[in-house]
Amino acid sequence: MAKELPGYGTINVPKDREVPFGAVTPAPVCTQNLFQTSNWRIVRPVKDDEKCTRCLICYLSCPDACWIYKEEEDVMEWVAGFCKGCQICINECPTGALTAVPELDFPDGVVRLEKPF
Amino acid sequence: MAKEQMMTGCRASAEGAKAAEVEVICSFPIRPYTAIMMELAKMVANGELNAEFLHGEGEHAQLSVVLGASASGARAFTGSSGVGVTYAMEIYSPMSGGRYPAQMAIADRTLDPPGDFGSEHTDAMCTRDQGWLLGWADSPQEVYDNTLIYYRVGEDHRVMLPQMVCQEGYFISHIPDKVVLGERSQVKEFLPPYRPIGPLSLTHPVSHGPQIRPDQGAPMDAARAQTFLAVPKVIEEATADFNRIFGRKYDPFVEQYKLADAEIAFFIMGAHSNTCRTSVDRLRKQGVKAGMARLRWVRPWPTHQLAEALGHVKAIGVVETSTSYGGAMRGGNLIHELRASLYDLDQRPLVTSFMAGLGGETIWPADFDHMAKVLTEMVKEKKTRNYVHWIGM
Amino acid sequence: MQAFNYKFQQFEPLKSFKCVPEPEVYVPGHRTCAGCGPALNYRLVAKAAGQDTIFIGPTGCMYVANSSYLCTPYACSWIHAQITNGGAVASGIEAAFKVLARKGKHTGPFPNVIVMAGDGGSVDIGLQAMSGLMYRNHKVLFICYDNESYANTGIQTSPMTPYGAATTFTPPGKEIPEGKTLFPKDAPQLVIGGHPAVKYVATTTVALPLDLMNKVRKALSQPGPTFLHMLAPCPKGWLFPEHLTREMARLAVETGMWSMYEWENGAYKYTNVPKKYKPVNEYMKHQGRFAHLKPEHIAKMQAFIDERIKNVKERIPIPIPTPKQTA
Repeated sequence: MAKELPGYGTINVPKDREVPFGAVTPAPVCTQNLFQTSNWRIVRPVKDDEKCTRCLICYLSCPDACWIYKEEEDVMEWVAGFCKGCQICINECPTGALTAVPELDFPDGVVRLEKPF
Repeated sequence: MAKEQMMTGCRASAEGAKAAEVEVICSFPIRPYTAIMMELAKMVANGELNAEFLHGEGEHAQLSVVLGASASGARAFTGSSGVGVTYAMEIYSPMSGGRYPAQMAIADRTLDPPGDFGSEHTDAMCTRDQGWLLGWADSPQEVYDNTLIYYRVGEDHRVMLPQMVCQEGYFISHIPDKVVLGERSQVKEFLPPYRPIGPLSLTHPVSHGPQIRPDQGAPMDAARAQTFLAVPKVIEEATADFNRIFGRKYDPFVEQYKLADAEIAFFIMGAHSNTCRTSVDRLRKQGVKAGMARLRWVRPWPTHQLAEALGHVKAIGVVETSTSYGGAMRGGNLIHELRASLYDLDQRPLVTSFMAGLGGETIWPADFDHMAKVLTEMVKEKKTRNYVHWIGM
Repeated sequence: MQAFNYKFQQFEPLKSFKCVPEPEVYVPGHRTCAGCGPALNYRLVAKAAGQDTIFIGPTGCMYVANSSYLCTPYACSWIHAQITNGGAVASGIEAAFKVLARKGKHTGPFPNVIVMAGDGGSVDIGLQAMSGLMYRNHKVLFICYDNESYANTGIQTSPMTPYGAATTFTPPGKEIPEGKTLFPKDAPQLVIGGHPAVKYVATTTVALPLDLMNKVRKALSQPGPTFLHMLAPCPKGWLFPEHLTREMARLAVETGMWSMYEWENGAYKYTNVPKKYKPVNEYMKHQGRFAHLKPEHIAKMQAFIDERIKNVKERIPIPIPTPKQTA
């Protein structure tokens, strides 16, 4: 070849923008911590344990699995990290054990995340 | 040494798929590729091939089925023709981007209108931006060979891309020619089993195809662009291996016929190259220094190889059996990338194109004579008068 | 028709909430709206099906809202499908696992293959693929999570949108006071009406979690194609406060807007049939998408539902021939 033909250049993808091969990612285990949704809520459910009958309706009403039944302690536990404050559980609780309390009332309320995802 | 048999391109395609021990096949009838599926159906029904043979509800479904099958770790196979190829258009990019190396056998056909069953390259050529490996065979033998070669290249972990193995409808798909099938040992040596990367699994759960962040869009595209830079080397290795094991003499990218000292040359793809070769011989006898370059891979396009093979030629006639309405040369779609391949040469050959074989018509030896006359005129005048000529019109 | 000869999970029905399996297979950490009906739906389905499951997710809210960005809430394997081809991709996966099992390349239990398609991906743009799947006798559970619109693209009408609902493609106006003038398709009937290979079809809602989970488990225990139609209220699309998601599902059943039934072996079994149906307005008055309707429109809806309820009381089980399985 008398003159060298052009090449195709090089591609350098910055590490923080890389995509896994074929966009295949490993499945999460237990929670998807890369997507915190706690800072969505403006109220949170507060439980009056004496009224709670452990009926498990809140456990099966939450789209975000934010109520867990702890079998050994026999108590319902609220998951702060993902609750969006939709209040379905408050509406569904048959004994009125749950009430909506503004996030700002809590010292750890209105969780502001540095990086939302 | 396996014996020579007479078989059509459709049957050769099915034999290739059987030799490759494909595991999931999805069928849907459309002329002229249907016979490929008819042959495979018989093989599955008779127990010659241990595969699931699904009747898709359309070509879009065919591609969707093989996407799912490939994602699960099975070697998947399907095919189509004409408007079937374009109906499945939505799925080509997900398969390429998801890196599912299934194979599609295409017996090409004109697009509607007018519902002509004849051969044109336009159907599969429409898909060339979707990120698949793509190329045409010129004989039933090459159809069989390409079926194996394309699986080998596509499933290589440096590649992992789906492939379209194309043949001319009717000319190759339906006219029998001599084919030597590979022995089982030869196929086993050449084509390793499919090893999926991160398949859908119960033991190693994965998510296939979640949404990406906006700033990851370009990197995701770039990843496939990078892959295409690596593909030619894999093609060269695979072709060399194939030639060695099966006793063929394929040039990996461009078949060069009497090209080394040619002054005029035909740039062509697919079945009509058979007529072209005999025409080149005839022209040579008449004292015309003619040659032929036959393109074996449309994607990845062999830019440098074409520049090297055709750079010395004075005038090139691109034989276009496809249409690209409103395209730069107002003709077919091979000429654009050929001219681009030659653009950076010190001495650029004159290039024109000939719309021939459209509608599935034969390209006659007289047509090649006419083309040669036009090219010879161009060489004499040292200029290209027209980008495109319509043979017979 | 060929029998399904591969070892697959057989599920026992869950007797009470305390029997519900603990592991979450649809885990928290997803971008669905607060109070999202389909998300709750997904969680219950995934819990019921367990870890040995492969979900196919056609484009829709349950794809886009769940899988941004490069992180998903599915603890089991999941693959995105086009909105057009959920049924077809699932067919390919089921076929692949059959062949891989035959060849000894897959040695575990046969996966629970579940398509989670929205109403559009089931009976509109996805209808062809869904029907193909039902026809071909694949062992796949096709779930239509029905939020009665193309919700993810900003609430457009789908063939499951009720008469009189306002969507961005059926806005009420001077010329068209109801907004939506067409009555919806009946998804389970589409499946039951013409597919001889289908083993089990049922309807359920997110307000009945045990019923929903048991129907999922029953469907997965069948050796062929099954279809579940799940009402999944959408606060954003139906315009009601998000704490009422389950309440809306309950009212749908109580007013007859949603019928609860199972179909198998040609026979219908109705459950949760109200002794006295509430008027449809009890359901519609909570939802902003119906706020523009005049009494004559609500009367039209009531008449449509009355006709449907009549069928519940009078439906005679017509045995639809199901070809015998050959071993």
